[in-house]
Amino acid sequence: MIIEVNNVSKEFVSPKKYPGLKGAIKGLFSNEKVRKMAVEDISFSIEEGEIVGYIGSNGAGKSTTIKMMTGILTPTSGQCLIRGIDPSKERKKNAQNIGVVFGQRTQLWWDLPLSESFSILKEIYNVSDEDYESQMKFLNEVLELEEFWTRPVRNLSLGQRMRADLGAALLHNPKVLYLDEPTIGLDLVVKDNIRKAIREINEKYKTTVILTTHDIEDIEELCNRIIIIDDGKKIYDGSLENLKEKYGVTRKVTMEVKNLKEARQVDLSSALHVSKEAYEVTTDKATNSVEVAFDKHCLSISDVIAQYMKHTEVKDIQIQETELSEIVKEIYRHGMEQETKQNEEGMVS
Amino acid sequence: MKKGRWRIYVPFTLNEIKSNLAYKGSFYLFVLCSCFGAFISYYLWMAIYGSSTSGVLGGLTRNEMILYVFMTYVTSNIVNVGVVGYIENDVRDGAVVMNLIKPIDYRLSLVSRALGVVVYRFLAPSVFVWIGLEIYKVAVLGMNVVSIKNILLYLLSAFFSVLIYQLFDFCFGLMAFVTTYMFGLKMAKNALVSFLTGQLIPISFFPEVFQRVFDFLPFSSMIYTPVMVYLGKYSGEELAAVLLRQVFWIVLLYGLGTILWRKITKRLIVLGG
Amino acid sequence: MKELKRYGRLYKVFVAQFFKYLVQSRVDFLIGLMGFFLTQAAGIAFLYLVFEQIPTLADWTLPQLIFIYGFAQIPRGLDHLFTDNIWMVSWWYVVNGQFDRYMLRPMNLFFQVICEKLQPDALGELMVGILLLAMSLSNGVVAISGTKIILFIISMIAGAVIYTSIKLLFASFAFWMKVSGPVLYTAYQLADFAKYPTEIYAKGIRFIITWIIPFGFVAYLPASYFLKPGVSPWSTIGLECMLAVVFFAISYGVFHFGTKAYESAGN
Repeated sequence: MIIEVNNVSKEFVSPKKYPGLKGAIKGLFSNEKVRKMAVEDISFSIEEGEIVGYIGSNGAGKSTTIKMMTGILTPTSGQCLIRGIDPSKERKKNAQNIGVVFGQRTQLWWDLPLSESFSILKEIYNVSDEDYESQMKFLNEVLELEEFWTRPVRNLSLGQRMRADLGAALLHNPKVLYLDEPTIGLDLVVKDNIRKAIREINEKYKTTVILTTHDIEDIEELCNRIIIIDDGKKIYDGSLENLKEKYGVTRKVTMEVKNLKEARQVDLSSALHVSKEAYEVTTDKATNSVEVAFDKHCLSISDVIAQYMKHTEVKDIQIQETELSEIVKEIYRHGMEQETKQNEEGMVS
Repeated sequence: MKKGRWRIYVPFTLNEIKSNLAYKGSFYLFVLCSCFGAFISYYLWMAIYGSSTSGVLGGLTRNEMILYVFMTYVTSNIVNVGVVGYIENDVRDGAVVMNLIKPIDYRLSLVSRALGVVVYRFLAPSVFVWIGLEIYKVAVLGMNVVSIKNILLYLLSAFFSVLIYQLFDFCFGLMAFVTTYMFGLKMAKNALVSFLTGQLIPISFFPEVFQRVFDFLPFSSMIYTPVMVYLGKYSGEELAAVLLRQVFWIVLLYGLGTILWRKITKRLIVLGG
Repeated sequence: MKELKRYGRLYKVFVAQFFKYLVQSRVDFLIGLMGFFLTQAAGIAFLYLVFEQIPTLADWTLPQLIFIYGFAQIPRGLDHLFTDNIWMVSWWYVVNGQFDRYMLRPMNLFFQVICEKLQPDALGELMVGILLLAMSLSNGVVAISGTKIILFIISMIAGAVIYTSIKLLFASFAFWMKVSGPVLYTAYQLADFAKYPTEIYAKGIRFIITWIIPFGFVAYLPASYFLKPGVSPWSTIGLECMLAVVFFAISYGVFHFGTKAYESAGN
C-alpha cells in the first residue's frame, strides 16, 4: 500500500458570526466558537499505480483530505501514511515524494519566466542535472512546455498554466501525484491533452494519482476507482462501473413535439408492459416538449421514442445519460437513508 | 442630487463597519498598540519639556502639549482613513471599469466605504481615549472639562478634516492608474502627511516662513486645525477663518478630483481599460 | 553540508532575479527611494525643530541623536532587505491559502518565505543610515577603532535578527488570526520610537520596548557603547547578541507551532 489513511478527522474551530450589523457588534464581545467537522473518520488505502477519483460536492471535505495527505493540514485525529511517512510529522520527507497541482491556484512564481520557475524547482527538489534533462525531455513531449518556456507565468493562458503546473509537479518524478480540479475552466482540447498526459505519466512511472474533480469525463477517462465523500464522511469506495451499475440507471429523453395534446396520450406502461415506477414523464408547454426519465434496465430509448412517434410528430430529440453529479446526488441520498436506518436500528436495540 | 440617491451609498458604509468588526482579535491589539504609540510620543515631549528652561514651547504649555499629543492621536485615528487602498485594489482586479457601468458615483462609493471605517474608529477607540483624556485633564492636570461649544466646533472641524483627507487621498490614489508601484508613493505621502499635518510636531514649531507656506497647503487643515480648535487656540475671526479654509479645501479638492477623474475615465474608455 | 549548499544554490537563483528586477524597474526603485528619503527627512527635521528649542535632550546632543537615528536604520534596512516577504504571510498568504505552496516543498518553511523576495526599498534605508552615520562621524561624536568596527558589524547583524524576530513573531499570529498584518504593523511602528533614548520613558514602557518588543536593543543601547565613554561592550552589544538569539528562538518556535495550526483557505 502506497497510501494509507487511517480514521482521519479534521475539525475547524472558528469564532461564531452573527448576522447583521448588530450581530457584528455582538460578536465583538462574545467568545462563542463554531466547530465544524470537515472530515470525519475517513479511512482508505491506495495501491501503487492506481488512479483514484476523489469526489464530493463543494464543502464535502475533499480538499481538506487532500491537504492532510499532502502535509498542509495536520489531522485533528487519525493518521495518513504516504509511503510509510506521516506528512504532518515529516513534512519535508513526504514533500520529496509527492507532486501537487491545485487547479485554482498556481504553485509557480507569478512574475518569473517559466524556465526560471523550473530551475528554482530543480534546486528545491534537489534534482540532478541528468535527471533534470531526461525528465524535461519527457515532460516536453507530453506537455509541450517549450511553446511558452520563456514567458512569465502571469502571461500564460489557463491551459498553458495548467500544463506548466503539471510539469512543475512532476519535475522530481514523484511517486504520488495529487490533482485538485486539474481541468477546471479548460476547453475541451486542453482537457483532453491534460488527461492524456496524466495517463502517460501513470503508465510510464506507475505514478499513483489522486484527483478531485467535478467533471465526469475526468473520472471516466482516468480513474479505475472512485471514492465519494459527503459531509465529511466516506460514502462510496469502489470502481466506476460498479457505481454506474448500481446508481446510474436513469436516462433522460427530451422530445420537442408538434402537438403536446397528442403526446400526452402516450401511455408507456401499457404499451411496453412496464410498471409505472420505471419512468417519469414531464411536459413543458413553453417549449412544447416532453421529458421522459426512465430506468435503462426496464426500457430502451428506441422503444420510448417509437411510442411517441406513433402518436405525434417529433421535431427534435435529446438524449441524456445520467450525469455523475446526479449519480452522486443519488448516492448522497442513499448514504443518508442508510445512516437514518442505522440510527433507527440503533435506537431499537 | 435627490434625497433618495444617497441611500444607495449607505450599504457601502455599513459593510465596511461590519467587516472591520469581524476581525475581533486584530481589533483589540490595534487599539492597544496604537494607544501605546501615543504614549511614547507623550514621553518624548515630556522629556523635551524637561530639558527646556522655558515652560512654553511652540506656543504650547506642557499641559497643552499633553492634550495636543492625545487629541492628535484621537483625530488622526479618524482622519487618516484613506481611499487609496480601495482604488489600488479596484485598478488591480479591473473593478474600476465595472464601476463605470454602474449608476453610482465611484468617488462617492469610496468615500462611503471610508466613512464606515471613520465611524468605526470614532466609536473605538477614539471616543474612549477622548473621554479618558478629559478625566485625566480634570483629575491630574486640574484643568476644566472642554466646553460644549468647543466639542461641537471640534467635531465640525474634524468632520471637515475627514473630508479633506479623503478627497485628497482620492486625487492621490488616482496615481494608481499611472504606476503599479504605489508602495513608494504611499510612503512618501505618509511622510508628508505626518510631518505637514502637525501629527509629528505642532505646526507652531516650524519657522515663521514655513508656517506661511503651509497656509497654502491642505495639510494643516487635516489635523492641526481641529486639534487647535479643541484646545481653544482660535477665537472670533480667526476661528471663522480656519473653518472657512477647511471648507475651501473641501471645495477645491472636490473640484480637482472631479477634473482628474474625468480625464482618467476618458483615457480608460479610449484605451479600453 | 550538502543541504546547506542546496539552500545556497537556491538563494543564488533568487538573488540573480533580484538584480534583474532592479535593472528592469529603475523607476519604481527611485520612487521607493524617494518615499524613503522623505520619511527619514521628516524624522531628522523633527529633531532639528525640537533642538531649536532645547540644547540637549536627556543629556544627549543633536549629533549624538542623529548617530542613534542613523545607527537604527542599518539593522532595519538589513532586515527589510532580506526578510520582507514575512509581511505577506501576515497579510495574505495565510488567509488566502497561498502558504500551501511552501508546505508542499521539501525545504525549510522559514527559508522558503524569506528567500522569495529581496526588497529593493531597503537599499534606501541602508543609504540613509550610512549617510547619517557618516555625517555624525565627521562631527566627531565617535572615535573609530578596530574593535569598534568589528563590534559595529556584529551589532548590526544582531539588530537585524531582532527586527526579523519581532516581524516573524507577529506574522506567525496569522496562523491563528488569519490576518495579523494590523498587529504586525503597529508593533513595527514602535521601532520608530525606539530611535530615541529609552531613558525618557516611564518604567513600564521601557520594560516593554526592552523585553517584550525589544526594539530598544536595536539602536539606543548598542549605540550608547559607541557614544558614551566607559560603557562596557558586554552589557550593551553582548546583551544585544544574547537577546537576538533568544528572541529568534522564541519567534521561530511560535512560527513552527503556527505552521502546525495552519488551516489553509476555503473552509
